Amino acid sequence: MKRVLPLLCGFMLAPAAAHAVEAPQKGGTLRILVSSAVGTLDPQISYVGLTKFFETPVYDTLLTYPKFAGPGAQPVIPNLAVNVPLPEDNGLTYRLTLRNGIHFSNGQLLTLADVVASFRRIFAAGSPTAGPYYSAIKGADACLKDPAHCTLAEGIETDVATNTITFHLSRPDPEFLEHLAWFHASILPANTPAHDMGNTAPPGTGPYQITDYNPTTHMRFERNPYFHEWSHDAQPAGFPDHMEVTFGLEPESAVTAVENDQADLMYENVPLDRLGEVGSKYADQVHIFTPLLYYYATLNVNEPPFTSLKVRQALNYAVNRHAMVIYDGGSAVAYPQCQLLPEGTPGYERFCAYTAGASPQNPAPEWVKPDMEKARQLVQESGTKGMRVTIVTPSGGKSDNTALELRSVLENLGYKASVHSISPAVHFTFVQNSDNHVQISISGWNADYPSAASFLDTLFACSNFHLHSDNSPNMSGFCDPRIDDMMHHAAQLTLTDRAASNAMWAQADKALMAQAPAVPLVQTKRVVLVSKRTRNVIITLNDEILLSQLQVP
Amino acid sequence: MLMAALRRLGQTVFVLFGISALVFAVFFATPGADPTARIAGKNASPQTMQKVRQEYGFDRPLPVQYAIMMKKLFITQDLASYADRGELVVPEITRAAPVTVSLVCGAAVIWVVFSIAMGTLAAALKGTWVDRTLMMLGLVGISIPVFWLGQVANLITQNRYHDTWLFSWVPALGYVPLTQNPWGWFKALIIPWVVLAVLFIGVYSRVLRADLVALSGEDFIRTARAKGLSPSRILIRHGLRTAMVTFVSLFGMDFAQLVGGGALLTEVVFGLPGVGRLTYQALTNLDLPLIMATVMYSAVFVVLANAAVDMIYLLLDPRVRDAR
Repeated sequence: MKRVLPLLCGFMLAPAAAHAVEAPQKGGTLRILVSSAVGTLDPQISYVGLTKFFETPVYDTLLTYPKFAGPGAQPVIPNLAVNVPLPEDNGLTYRLTLRNGIHFSNGQLLTLADVVASFRRIFAAGSPTAGPYYSAIKGADACLKDPAHCTLAEGIETDVATNTITFHLSRPDPEFLEHLAWFHASILPANTPAHDMGNTAPPGTGPYQITDYNPTTHMRFERNPYFHEWSHDAQPAGFPDHMEVTFGLEPESAVTAVENDQADLMYENVPLDRLGEVGSKYADQVHIFTPLLYYYATLNVNEPPFTSLKVRQALNYAVNRHAMVIYDGGSAVAYPQCQLLPEGTPGYERFCAYTAGASPQNPAPEWVKPDMEKARQLVQESGTKGMRVTIVTPSGGKSDNTALELRSVLENLGYKASVHSISPAVHFTFVQNSDNHVQISISGWNADYPSAASFLDTLFACSNFHLHSDNSPNMSGFCDPRIDDMMHHAAQLTLTDRAASNAMWAQADKALMAQAPAVPLVQTKRVVLVSKRTRNVIITLNDEILLSQLQVP
Repeated sequence: MLMAALRRLGQTVFVLFGISALVFAVFFATPGADPTARIAGKNASPQTMQKVRQEYGFDRPLPVQYAIMMKKLFITQDLASYADRGELVVPEITRAAPVTVSLVCGAAVIWVVFSIAMGTLAAALKGTWVDRTLMMLGLVGISIPVFWLGQVANLITQNRYHDTWLFSWVPALGYVPLTQNPWGWFKALIIPWVVLAVLFIGVYSRVLRADLVALSGEDFIRTARAKGLSPSRILIRHGLRTAMVTFVSLFGMDFAQLVGGGALLTEVVFGLPGVGRLTYQALTNLDLPLIMATVMYSAVFVVLANAAVDMIYLLLDPRVRDAR
């Protein structure tokens, strides 16, 4: 803790300064450093943040998340479609009109046939979100069972005369518009093969195209010669002529390379031990923003001692969030998290049920300090003192420190605690599987788009707990029909009354915290370093830094 | 001779089979290592999981999966990564190998030249301050972890003193292909070469000195001395040649191990996209096809190096020849 504190002073004293407004500058080559590659380039298959980051200026969806910052940037906006449809038939029908005159990067004109084929391909190629995001489309169930013969004939109707496309759902999906904007619904040419395209990027409609890619060494972007800006807010034209990505430099070396002007942008966060240096010497090149990402300890409600509500509450009272903030880099880049919705999501209302002087019935406005006395009393009442608890954590980095802090807290509460560090590559699937009997684990969760359901429903709804499966995002194994109903109601309200829906989600957040199926720890910020020459850094809620908008001489 | 070659080939196949079976078994015995969920993506539906399982053959018995993987690796050479279906692992290794060979060959030249010079000089001046200083330097070289030395080298040349006249020539970390820019290739590799060589200079110079000192009491050295040959001639022509048997034996194994991916830490620290970094990446992602390919590649090198070392023995030491 002592070692980290002085390093933070730079950021505390010198927050990132905005560049002076200058005339937009087109041209040049933007050089980006990334420590390791992104895997498959297929926009309908890849499910990693880095691919989305790179493919935002390459592919388009019918609707999209706004490419501008600010409080108005939450709801989806039209992109390849000219309108955001209103739900019809109680949320069972959505009608959109396709824009005219848009071409793919191979010169092909985008038509309704491409749109229909792209939605079929989601199932045929096995998109990860085919089930969770698109199964409400009529005929999707058959497509999931038999992807090779997917037609979606009943689910998608087109009218060439009016250039409209109509989605028919088998059940209302309150987030269907957000799902249309998700990058797995990218519109690709109808003749794109129905399998993972791997290292070959299919043609897209955005301002750039990926022309060269080797997942171990590099990636190259060039302008899409057929692109014209149809909506600046949805898909703005790009500034650099080329973008070159180099894979393989560790973040430590990437910081140095950007400082030396050998590169323009490092994708990874600035490592903790370099925060002081960049905060003091390169503050005007640092950009800090808050993604919808938080870290938490999942408590398995089906494994003792966390079967006891009192134990779960005790741990929530006992964890020192201030220490967790320090382990994450300090107050400039992280802040205490006390609830299951992070700041920035619809329905977020700040509260803290477990801190000194607070309770689920009378939450405090924010986290103050741990209440060890209350925590010890709850453990005593639970009769679980002396039990063994193993914390499963992804090895390396701050997770280890977080786990060690948690171990110390558990031991203070009277448990025999130990830490089991496992490879980050398997940690996420390992802790999900009920067969592995994980009691408590350290995890992070980043929503695909701003949605309360992406946190509360995905992580704590009965339907997302699957026994014996590596894909069971409800890692706590929590299931409370009363809270499930509340979340379902909140989701349905989205279709008719967003304000009421948000209020209901806030209630669900409180109700879940009262049951304490997890210990929220910190919400973190991204700290990105750019070169001296890089200008026009635009950060959005969904797409982080907009690559296409960076200007280099 | 033919029988010996066949025996050697048989041993090689057996070793490769053993290693591959072990890597495969350990992977699938590791809890949570099942790649299905990782390939299908977070929260994928059970149907999508099933689709992935079928496509990748994870629903088939393990021996069948093993046989298919070996066929794809060695015969059809179309084994694809689990992390990226478009990444064929054999061409990936083919692309990475020249980087590793460039790194290891350059480092080998440095460590061979320096260790022979240091070891011989120390043996010749046994017991003097020169001997003690050289051997202490060797020990320091052995003791410094290569990743630490690499990071310090980067800190000095890329960060603290990068803008000074001393290190302004140092290029950005990464690899420049020899065919594209020979001078750039040299500049990009000179610091990694030295960093990688430091440990081996320490080891080899100490081993060589110890051998030369031990040999000085042997009958054939005494005979040479009795014949009135000069000390330097005795040391170099008689002593060094015989001491090189151990040296070459060590060199063969180390060189092969490094070319096979053992220079992993150096490659990672200096951002060189060689076989070592590929191995690191495979282990980080727990990507079995890539792990299997890099391990097999490394094993082949070590086995081949063993055979090469045996041949060189014959040239260096007449006693080995006699033993045949």
